[in-house]
Amino acid sequence: MGKVVLDQMAMQRALTRITYEIIEKNKGVDDLVLIGIKTRGVYLAQRIASRLQQLENVSVPVGELDITNYRDDVEHDKPTETEVTITNSNPNISVKDKRVVIVDDVLYTGRTVRAALSAIMDLGRPKMINLAVLVDRGHRELPIRADFVGKNIPSSQKEKISVLVSEIDGKDAVEINK
Amino acid sequence: MPTTRYLILEDGTSYTGQAFGSLATTTGEIITNSTMNGYQEIITNQVHHNQIIVFTQPSIGNTGLDQNAYESILPSAKGVVVREYENLATDHLKRISLDRYLKQHGIPGIYGIDTRQLRHHLQNQGTMKASIVDVDDEHAFDQLSATVLTNQQVAQVATPKPYPNPGEGDNVIVVDFGLKHGILRELSKRKCNVTVVPWDTSSEQIMDFDPDGVVLSTGPGSPNSLPESVLHMIKAIESQVPLMAIGLGHQLFGLANGARILPLDVEHHGSNHPIKEIITNEIFYADQEQGYEIDKKSINHKQLLITYLDVMNGTIQGLRHRDFPAFSVEFLPDGAPGPKDRVDLFDDFIEMMAVRRRNDNG
Repeated sequence: MGKVVLDQMAMQRALTRITYEIIEKNKGVDDLVLIGIKTRGVYLAQRIASRLQQLENVSVPVGELDITNYRDDVEHDKPTETEVTITNSNPNISVKDKRVVIVDDVLYTGRTVRAALSAIMDLGRPKMINLAVLVDRGHRELPIRADFVGKNIPSSQKEKISVLVSEIDGKDAVEINK
Repeated sequence: MPTTRYLILEDGTSYTGQAFGSLATTTGEIITNSTMNGYQEIITNQVHHNQIIVFTQPSIGNTGLDQNAYESILPSAKGVVVREYENLATDHLKRISLDRYLKQHGIPGIYGIDTRQLRHHLQNQGTMKASIVDVDDEHAFDQLSATVLTNQQVAQVATPKPYPNPGEGDNVIVVDFGLKHGILRELSKRKCNVTVVPWDTSSEQIMDFDPDGVVLSTGPGSPNSLPESVLHMIKAIESQVPLMAIGLGHQLFGLANGARILPLDVEHHGSNHPIKEIITNEIFYADQEQGYEIDKKSINHKQLLITYLDVMNGTIQGLRHRDFPAFSVEFLPDGAPGPKDRVDLFDDFIEMMAVRRRNDNG
């Protein structure tokens, strides 16, 4: 077990603050779509959606994005349209002309987000794409920055930062392992 | 032998008790406080300016006073009414008893009063004036009904001049409407470099300090008694820097954003009401010192989000601006006295200042 840098309460508060900031920046929740990057980004996106539901009484669609086919460290041909999937309980989720907020657990090199941007752009042309992350740990390799950050955790590249969510890890926490 | 004195109410009721503290004759608005502990914090909170405080907790005075728990330098409550008074200083420092403290500050106390019956009475009759007097004759009642209580409470308790509370972190301006020390304590813990400014400071003067954030403090009385200029200040500040508002500051934040203020039939002082955070549906407790509420019907939902509600009486306990990093809470998150369930609102405020800096640099 590593050192806990955000406990359950702090994690809840960070998500709450991000939710308020999303409302502030988007001037409301009209045309909003949350897209969680698999795996833990999806759970964080769902929690933001449930907060928006509580506050605004609006059900904001949540998509799940698997970026495997867009990774730049794997040799592959450009994916065909059938391979790009944003899954959702509502299969007709569309990003065209929407205000998309990508949700992920940790922002590190920026390569995952780059892949997510490509995947989303292949599906349609959103009005705007924002990025929300629970943890920004620095060490970017691409010109990418988050619009909504739960916690900045300056880290060494030797360290491993883990975001745990109760849905799959049994508890909510952010930990650093040396 | 303790001196017999009388607590008389505007409606003609008289209660007989025994004196402690100062032997002065006093008149103020009578309110009840149901908090179980923390009489020192309650008596020294400036929100009780011009008020006679009735404690429903039956035994008061049984711990003495702690150097670190004052909420103001000069308490301005008008009187203390208790059922049973214990003149003890049992804390480990054994410094000052409540009796000695009240004598020092000229505040009369009266004990031997059935405070729970009195609370029922006030709950039915509403807020009214009261006096602690030596004789409960017709003259005393005439005097009481002739007394006009000031509505300039903020001007009487807020600092007339700016003063610093230096730190090495965020540059925070606290606008003083009669603040409680708990606010400064929490900002100090978070290393803020604080300047406390008078309540009538203009937005230009505040922005000249180049603040990272602004806090609107708690304070006594009705927000409607303050001039329009205060609302202009809030409107100008909220669009420029992160804003946190508490108690009276919360009500002013609502007023500045178009809401109306209504007096509560009976003031609510205590930490026994469950409060709901709407965004998470969580219930928690916090100290509330509330004589007025923001009228729910007057909220412009395009401008403000309602963030917290009192589950018992339905009053708005928190607001947030839709377009700016500005929020307010009616309850007292510093937990002095009472639960510290939401003390992390100060961390949220610090985080809001960090976000603004990041966005400015980005």
